[in-house]
Amino acid sequence: MGQVELQSIHKSFGPTAVLDDINLTIADKEFVVVVGPSGCGKSTLLRVVAGLEEASSGALLFDGRAVNALSPGERNVAMVFQNYALYPHLSVATNIGFGLRRAAMSRREKRAAIERIARLLEIEPLLKRRPNALSGGQRQRVAMGRAIIRNPAVFLFDEPLSNLDARLRMQMRSEIRGLHSKLPTTTIYVTHDQIEAMTMADRVVVMNAGRIEQIGTPSQIYDTPRTTFVARFMGMPSMNMIAARYDGDALVLPDTRVPVPADWPERLAPWVGRELLLGLRPEHLSLRTSPGGVPATVDLTEPTGSETLVYLHHGDTRLAARTPPDTRLRRGDQVHLDLRLDRATLFDPDTTLALPTLPADPITKGETA
Amino acid sequence: MVRSRAERMADWAVYAAMLVLALAFLLPVLWLASLSVRTQAEVFMGAARFIPEAPTLDNFARVLRDGGFQSYIWNTVKLASLGAAGAVALAAPAAYALSRMAFRGKGALMLGILSVQMVSGLVVLIPLYRFMDRLGLLESHFGTTLLYIAAGIPVTIWLLKVSFDAVPRSLDDAAAIDGLSRVESFALITLPLALPGLISAFILNLILNWSQFLIPFIMLSADDKWPISVAIFRFAGSTSAATTQLLAAACLLAILPALAIFVLLQRYILAALTAGAVKE
Repeated sequence: MGQVELQSIHKSFGPTAVLDDINLTIADKEFVVVVGPSGCGKSTLLRVVAGLEEASSGALLFDGRAVNALSPGERNVAMVFQNYALYPHLSVATNIGFGLRRAAMSRREKRAAIERIARLLEIEPLLKRRPNALSGGQRQRVAMGRAIIRNPAVFLFDEPLSNLDARLRMQMRSEIRGLHSKLPTTTIYVTHDQIEAMTMADRVVVMNAGRIEQIGTPSQIYDTPRTTFVARFMGMPSMNMIAARYDGDALVLPDTRVPVPADWPERLAPWVGRELLLGLRPEHLSLRTSPGGVPATVDLTEPTGSETLVYLHHGDTRLAARTPPDTRLRRGDQVHLDLRLDRATLFDPDTTLALPTLPADPITKGETA
Repeated sequence: MVRSRAERMADWAVYAAMLVLALAFLLPVLWLASLSVRTQAEVFMGAARFIPEAPTLDNFARVLRDGGFQSYIWNTVKLASLGAAGAVALAAPAAYALSRMAFRGKGALMLGILSVQMVSGLVVLIPLYRFMDRLGLLESHFGTTLLYIAAGIPVTIWLLKVSFDAVPRSLDDAAAIDGLSRVESFALITLPLALPGLISAFILNLILNWSQFLIPFIMLSADDKWPISVAIFRFAGSTSAATTQLLAAACLLAILPALAIFVLLQRYILAALTAGAVKE
């Protein structure tokens, strides 16, 4: 009871196109995270689904029924806002119960519903307070309570955790996920935080400049990005992008040649003699103890405790490598890197699209099959 | 903050200038106060007896006991408060529309509304009189109140727009998601949250209406309908110096309520006038 379908949705504010041909189908009870940089249109997308903004063209369907003309209240959606948007002049209990004003319920039933939600979210002692007497995390819970109580067909979250500190954000992340498994409901969750996208989503939608760049499971997005934008946006540090020429049996870098795996020549036949972008995650670069591989110069190391990030350069190309925590390197050190080409993604530098001849990835293959 | 000698000198210069200004405004009031506590004999002494030798509160007692004075004050209270309430009630929806809706020509409309405020009442006095005459609304408190309301609406719209602007838009969104219509969202969410602004706008109108003179002067000719401002003017123009001390007492009493409201509530009035000036 909560399939959401967007068909060729366009939205412009004056001459500026904010959403450009958005096509997206969200299954009932699915948790979809829409992620992208500020101004990519993700919040507008959410507001169009909510009915707070009208799409300039295109169809929005809930369970196959067009809802374009329905008011937000008629769509049976609930929304949690970035700044919580609690009514400051009303008590927590009234805030939570506000959406039930029209419901065909007695006072006692409403009271009971509010108390049930308060128990679920562990905010019972706060029911009589005003929002200004609550902490950020408590306000967040009240905002969720207000959303849950109406038992909506679709939950919409608009960057709900961005006003919380790091520790609380982590906790609320798992609470929202936990809530979704207790009350499975179609959820569209908008964030600019890729960690939230990776950890919470059934499927991730990556947006850029009003368009959808890629839709996929978190591991698909991470392991097989469809465009250089997705490759750079998702992952911290971003995927390394190494410009190289393919000469038929090796990738030619400024100072070295890297022989390609045995199955590449057949797939890359049309690319002989052309420039490519070699995309490699930092964990797929490793330090060699012996000469060989790709020579590079260390710029900076960042020990995080569990690992050490090493930033280097090879010619003009900046690189990042994820290395064991005991790595001891200094700025200016010369090192040699091994590239795990079996995990690489190749991009066409002109179209920024990943080559259709992606090296097979056993993990992704297993999940999508 | 450490202040330099030059800055302190500048401060004193400002204080001195303000003192001169304050005296210019206060002297007539002090003169009024002086007259109001004199006996009839001392009134003729003029400025020589600024502080009377035999001050008396008898004038106040006589004015307060006077049935006419009570009726003028009551008329003033009635006209001022109904006018203020009407202006706030009618300006609120307009201010909400200007605060929340985007439409072509909005900036021009807002300037237009403000420019109405710039037209002096004297300029439109005669047409206004004929207009109200045609409508058959002369000589009535109802018609007078309508003009008070009309006079108050422009500045009230601006004041209320600022108050409504301060209520976050996301609350409108939340209310829409919760199924409220525009009108419900206005009444249940925006209005209660803008209450301090509504109150300040009401008080400001009340004070402006209290001293309103032109409108009741042209609208009302019957003695029993006059507010205090018109009554004082009529008496000042028609009576001899024999009642100057009584007139002074009446004037002082007439100022007091407006002054009291202002002193007690100036914090709110100032807040309304400067709201939105700085981002909090």
